[in-house]
Amino acid sequence: MSDKIDFDFFGDGLRIFLDYIHRQFKKNPKYMPHPLIRAFECAIQGAEKAKVGQTFMGVSQNGTPKNVCNPFVVVMEKIESGVGVKEIRNIKVDKTVPIDVMLIIFRLQILLDRIEGDCISPAQMVDALNTVIPGNKFYALGDRWKEARDEFMRLLEAGKIRVPNNSKLIDGLTSITYNMTWEEYPNNVRAFIGSSIAQKDNMPSGTVIITSPTNSKIEKFKVFDSATEFLLGESSEFLNLRGKQENNKTPDKNEPSQ
Amino acid sequence: MAVSIKEINNILAEYFDIIDSYFGSIKHHLGQEEDSHIDLAVHMARYPLVSDLIIDAIDDIDEQISAFWQKNLKTVVEYVKQQDSLKCLYSGDISPVILENFVKRSAFYIDTVILADPIYNLTLFQKQIILDRKYYLQKLIRHVFNVWKLKDLALLDSPQKVIIILPINLQLVNQESRNSLIATADQNLAAYVGKILDVKLDSGEACLDYLEKETTADGLFKQFKHPELLPRIFASQESFQKFLADFSNTGKFAKFKERESVGWDFGIYLRSQFIRVQEHKHFCEKLIAEPIYDYDLPWFFFNYEMGGVDMDAAIATALQNEKFNWISKVPLSAIAVMRAENKLEYMRSVLRQGVTDLKAKKDKDLIVVGEQIEANLKDAFAKQESEIGVLQAQVNKIVRKDIPITSAGFLAGFIPPPYGTVVSLLFAGRDIKKSLTERSVLETTINQKNKNFINLLLRSYER
Repeated sequence: MSDKIDFDFFGDGLRIFLDYIHRQFKKNPKYMPHPLIRAFECAIQGAEKAKVGQTFMGVSQNGTPKNVCNPFVVVMEKIESGVGVKEIRNIKVDKTVPIDVMLIIFRLQILLDRIEGDCISPAQMVDALNTVIPGNKFYALGDRWKEARDEFMRLLEAGKIRVPNNSKLIDGLTSITYNMTWEEYPNNVRAFIGSSIAQKDNMPSGTVIITSPTNSKIEKFKVFDSATEFLLGESSEFLNLRGKQENNKTPDKNEPSQ
Repeated sequence: MAVSIKEINNILAEYFDIIDSYFGSIKHHLGQEEDSHIDLAVHMARYPLVSDLIIDAIDDIDEQISAFWQKNLKTVVEYVKQQDSLKCLYSGDISPVILENFVKRSAFYIDTVILADPIYNLTLFQKQIILDRKYYLQKLIRHVFNVWKLKDLALLDSPQKVIIILPINLQLVNQESRNSLIATADQNLAAYVGKILDVKLDSGEACLDYLEKETTADGLFKQFKHPELLPRIFASQESFQKFLADFSNTGKFAKFKERESVGWDFGIYLRSQFIRVQEHKHFCEKLIAEPIYDYDLPWFFFNYEMGGVDMDAAIATALQNEKFNWISKVPLSAIAVMRAENKLEYMRSVLRQGVTDLKAKKDKDLIVVGEQIEANLKDAFAKQESEIGVLQAQVNKIVRKDIPITSAGFLAGFIPPPYGTVVSLLFAGRDIKKSLTERSVLETTINQKNKNFINLLLRSYER
């Protein structure tokens, strides 16, 4: 059969994912899928009624008015046999979204849907990202922030840390005291200090330390935004999360199934 | 109140709707080949990245299927129990390798094939012990589409359902009964292993501990003191080794491989078979059904436990033998034809000739029963061919001698002898009409015989 079937890898995945979205709508009419899917839907609706050769653009986003997240644009063209995708783009990172990143976003959507509410914990975020992005590159600092702080101090005193010439960061660093709780640290300082745990544990290069306090709540749309940044944004060049794609060996049809 | 077939069809339609809502968008890949569901599963599970998306997207099918059975189980069980017909409950694997062929073979003898819902068993139970997600996806797609291919037959509006799907699993049995069934299985396991090795073993645990000590297939084989008590596939050292290697390979994907010992693997396999036998017996009794299998190993252990089975179970299972592979060429529509013609009882009487409960009970490998029913089918085919031959000769006679002459006379106004000129055109017309009617009746009979289920079988046999 393998030679006879022209498998459309992405198409099959997309159709199964759209079936998933459809089932979620049946369970909850107020269900809100990822902006990429909403942009897709808008573009398809337009293109379906258009004449051959005409293009339609769907745009969608989430977040808040002050913090726009996940702005996606989908451009579709009406062709003889239906509609064709011309472009899928994330406007924030200003890059075309490749198929593997789309698949990661779809999977992230499914995993986050399984967690009730609009927010998740840092540990849940790390679990979700490690599940969908190959390489187990994410680490939740959690309650190990004191270890990270002490390691940071040790490295600083040993002259092994170079503090960037960033006034906000320097102000933040000078404002902290030994008795402060992790929640009281400014966000940028948490990120700077927290990553010291990677040196302490000899974590592989490119590991992303999520330094949010254990009890904090992270909006789901921010998780998508972070994932897109890690995969396509400026930091993607250093993280190289989309390196080698897996191709798992599964048993063939002649292997025993019982 | 009795459950109607309409209610059952509605329930089964809902079951297939659930499958469709999860896997409908890839069903167009299913080819015409009988094993296309296996190929599709292998391909889908190998998709890089996409297979992960599919696994995540279908992950909640267990909730759907569980809710579905919570709502409908009682009604379907009630329906099965109220059927005063020959029902057979399948056991052996999650679903038969090629369900379509299994059902074709079965449906020529039994009224209803009861199939344990493969989606229920895979998503609610096997998923917990399968370590490799891709392996799970492969199994799920394979068994889902195995069932999906028979959707039309499952929804057929016949007096007896050809297929019934039910959630059947030991976990559904209440704890007290379950513990009792497992305890019986463990006792039987210890007794069996004790016999083949000629050692005294008091419990299932002692049996596994004893077998664990043996780390090679060769060493284990040499310990068999009574090979005559082993299934045929274990009778030669080579086939025994191959079986254990395959079984161990499967273990890579599941959690049951707790210890690194060939003897342990063998013990675990035997234990699973003895437990399955108890499960099968339990559900056969509950549903008032006969057991049916599609391959030798599980059949062997059931037979060993029961000391043989009766005629119906033996014939139904013997039809799954390799010698009846040709039945897989019978179109599925033949089953619908047979049910429409209400000829199942006739078919049964054909197959049963010369088979008795006693003969079946003695025939552990179903060789005698298989040969008998093969001979019975050949007789039926010969009779069928002979009947059609006689009818065809009659038609040919009418065509050659009467119709062309009388037709010509009628058309040309010429009345052939012996009627002479006194015979009216009306008379000649009636004569022609009579001949035509006679021919038409014969041709219809031949046509019916050609289309009837036994002829459909015959054509598949001759192919």
